[in-house]
Amino acid sequence: LPGDVVFDLAAQAQNKVLRLGSGLSQDADRVVAIKAGRLNHAKSKLWVEGSQKRYIPSAEDSVIGIVIDRRAEEFLVDLNAPVLGLLPILSFEGATRKNIPNLKARAVVYGRVVKAHRDISPALSCLDASGKGSGYGPLKEGYLFECSTGLARSLLGTPTYPVLEALGKSLAFEIAVGVNGRVWVKSDAPATTVLVSNAIINSECLSAAQQHILVQKLLQAAK
Amino acid sequence: MAKREDDLRTPGELLGLASEFNAGRGSYCHDGKIYASLVGIRHLIEAKQGSDDLRPTIEIRREKERDAVPEAGSTVTAKITKVQARMASADIVCVGPRAVKEKFTGIVRQQDVRLTEIDKVDMHSSFRPGDIIRAEVISLGDSRAYYLSTAKNELGVVSAVSVAGMPKFFLVSTKSATMVAVSWQEMQCPLTNQREPRKVAKVVT
Repeated sequence: LPGDVVFDLAAQAQNKVLRLGSGLSQDADRVVAIKAGRLNHAKSKLWVEGSQKRYIPSAEDSVIGIVIDRRAEEFLVDLNAPVLGLLPILSFEGATRKNIPNLKARAVVYGRVVKAHRDISPALSCLDASGKGSGYGPLKEGYLFECSTGLARSLLGTPTYPVLEALGKSLAFEIAVGVNGRVWVKSDAPATTVLVSNAIINSECLSAAQQHILVQKLLQAAK
Repeated sequence: MAKREDDLRTPGELLGLASEFNAGRGSYCHDGKIYASLVGIRHLIEAKQGSDDLRPTIEIRREKERDAVPEAGSTVTAKITKVQARMASADIVCVGPRAVKEKFTGIVRQQDVRLTEIDKVDMHSSFRPGDIIRAEVISLGDSRAYYLSTAKNELGVVSAVSVAGMPKFFLVSTKSATMVAVSWQEMQCPLTNQREPRKVAKVVT
């Protein structure tokens, strides 16, 4: 919980480097949690992961944004966060000064958070670190719905989320997940899209076995 | 050498002939005559030794000191309020050594942050909201804000508080987190020893 002391730096004889991820803050000689969630530990990195409805931008996150407006040099993108993100118009694959992506209001984009800090608007990009598109860019058609940030991270995590695995065996669909709590689904038949969306939304608190049963039931009902 | 004459002049009053005097501050020349443009005391300043113009200068000076107002070329102290991609906004607090009575807004543009590599400047690594900066007024700017510049060694962030020192509602930090300048690019927090990037001013003591 916020305020809990996670680590006492003074008590440990340290020559090691400890990296603090999101949700933690250093208060002189203590490491304190500033978010509610589960403390995770991997190699020399500590971080707190919780599930919220609102997204707090953090660097290197893959997010789904909705274009609000276009300014001279960038698009204003809504990320379900306290501030709008800024997406430079040239940060798309194959974009040049003469070939600027024509994104109007309400267009959906899949992008990456390049820089995020509490004092600035997050900077986004639809290119990966090496300058290639690799899946980022506008998402055309399809269906967009919102979920909690925790569910979004599970959908993206390894091992593969059970619902996605089960659905993938019987149905054909495209899916994009943003850690800002947005999921985009596209398939040929509207019925398939609805089924996939329902399965994902309802699976949040279920165990793996329960999720498989859920998918079975939905597929049965669809026939 | 200034001779002080204790007579009050009003705008439009005839002060002398242009052939005999130079029009200084607070006065203007029209049709060969010098008139006052302010309400104030007339001062007569002798011409500098060795200059071609031997005419003394007439100046009208106000009785009361006016409030401090930033002018082009003046050095100001400002507090950063907002940092954006290509500019930072600041509230001007002092003009030179004098505090201002009403609020003035200034903008530091990306190209005015420093002298070298101006197109690679990252505003967020130069200033943060809450920093106190020393800047020079470049121009009166637009109707919203003065244009400021920190493109000199002695201009830039003078005082800043680190992230660890930012008030948090559930942590009681009694120690001060005012950062110490490490180089012209970085400042260090005394509490956590972490370094933060800033465009630091070289304060000559």
